[in-house]
Amino acid sequence: MPIKVLAFAGSPRRHGNSETLLDWVLAAMQKEDDVAIDKVVLVDANVNPCRGCNACETLNKCIQRDGMDVIHDKIIDADVIILAAPIFCMGICSQAKALIDRFQVFRSRKFVLKLPVVPPERKGKRLGVFLSTAGQSWDHVFQGAIPSVKCFFHVIDVRDRDIQYLMINGVDEKGAIMKHPTAQEDAERLAREVIADIRVRLAE
Amino acid sequence: MSVKVIGISGSPHRHGNTETLLDAFLDGADHAGGAVEKVILKDLDFTPCRGCNACHKEGECIVKDEALPLFDRILLADCVAVASPIYSMGITAELKGLIDRSQYIWARKFIIRTLYFTDDHIRRHKGLFISTAGLSWDNVFDAAFPAITAFFNTMGFEYYDNIIANDMDRWKGIRGHPTALREARNKGEEVVGVITGLYPD
Repeated sequence: MPIKVLAFAGSPRRHGNSETLLDWVLAAMQKEDDVAIDKVVLVDANVNPCRGCNACETLNKCIQRDGMDVIHDKIIDADVIILAAPIFCMGICSQAKALIDRFQVFRSRKFVLKLPVVPPERKGKRLGVFLSTAGQSWDHVFQGAIPSVKCFFHVIDVRDRDIQYLMINGVDEKGAIMKHPTAQEDAERLAREVIADIRVRLAE
Repeated sequence: MSVKVIGISGSPHRHGNTETLLDAFLDGADHAGGAVEKVILKDLDFTPCRGCNACHKEGECIVKDEALPLFDRILLADCVAVASPIYSMGITAELKGLIDRSQYIWARKFIIRTLYFTDDHIRRHKGLFISTAGLSWDNVFDAAFPAITAFFNTMGFEYYDNIIANDMDRWKGIRGHPTALREARNKGEEVVGVITGLYPD
């Protein structure tokens, strides 16, 4: 079985800084043996915001029929889940927030209905990666996004200690990340580490 | 003059905890003589920011939808209350979608430099954040504050206060909360009084 990597490009801007960072990670993962990559471009994925109806707390599924139907099953199958999204106005861009909020169905399953999200034998064998970019160069520019990103991973059974972060600030205009001194190298190293880590865990 | 107060409900859920708390605030503002209007974001036809940065050239947004007239109305208001429940430790995608669209105002201030709010203008314009959360955690609102702060800064409003209530699951909703609705109403009266006091005749 190949290592299944599911990656979300969460930015509304195609091939911008956060997607470039993601593409560097995915290209490095692709070079490793036996890795199957599925990249989802969120603006093309037809994911509507959560309606806050709480129906999933009883139905164990979402009442909306849209792109999440496909994404839901992919989320459960994946060994490595990557979310890439830029910071807009000191928070994660609204398109990515819509995806995060739609994970309410997993939260309901896990914490309200007390049902497994992944089978018990796969617990601890899932890794998460958050990739982000921001135009502002402030150190705290990512702080508003991180708690929501943790929710995103926790409810799909990726533990806090199994989430890796690569966040690059001070890149605004499209292509600015190409001039960053370490971003590509950091992305490639992260990719190799994550694949090595999941390979060991899956073999256990 | 009549203090103009605009309340923006960012919840996808009509008449839920957050909108009810906003209603109490607006009721207080109305009682104090404010001219009050409420906008239901989910009924507005607008799309999130595309991140195209076209506004960095002329200071205009190229996405012509109902977000732009709303920004015009916010800029004419003396007080803006933005309301959103906490979903996944942050504001809703709807409210974040609107806030992200304010990029063209930000660009007018910091890239094109055609817009400048004086300290006096900012002092006379008050912004409030209204929110509820199911969880009891004290930190449940923390990740929402930076985007709200950014929005008020961009729009030329002083961040006046928060009206926030957590632990909705325990209180069985905002109507079961011992103090929140009364405090929201008082806050509405208070802020209209404060703004009125800044305009001596």
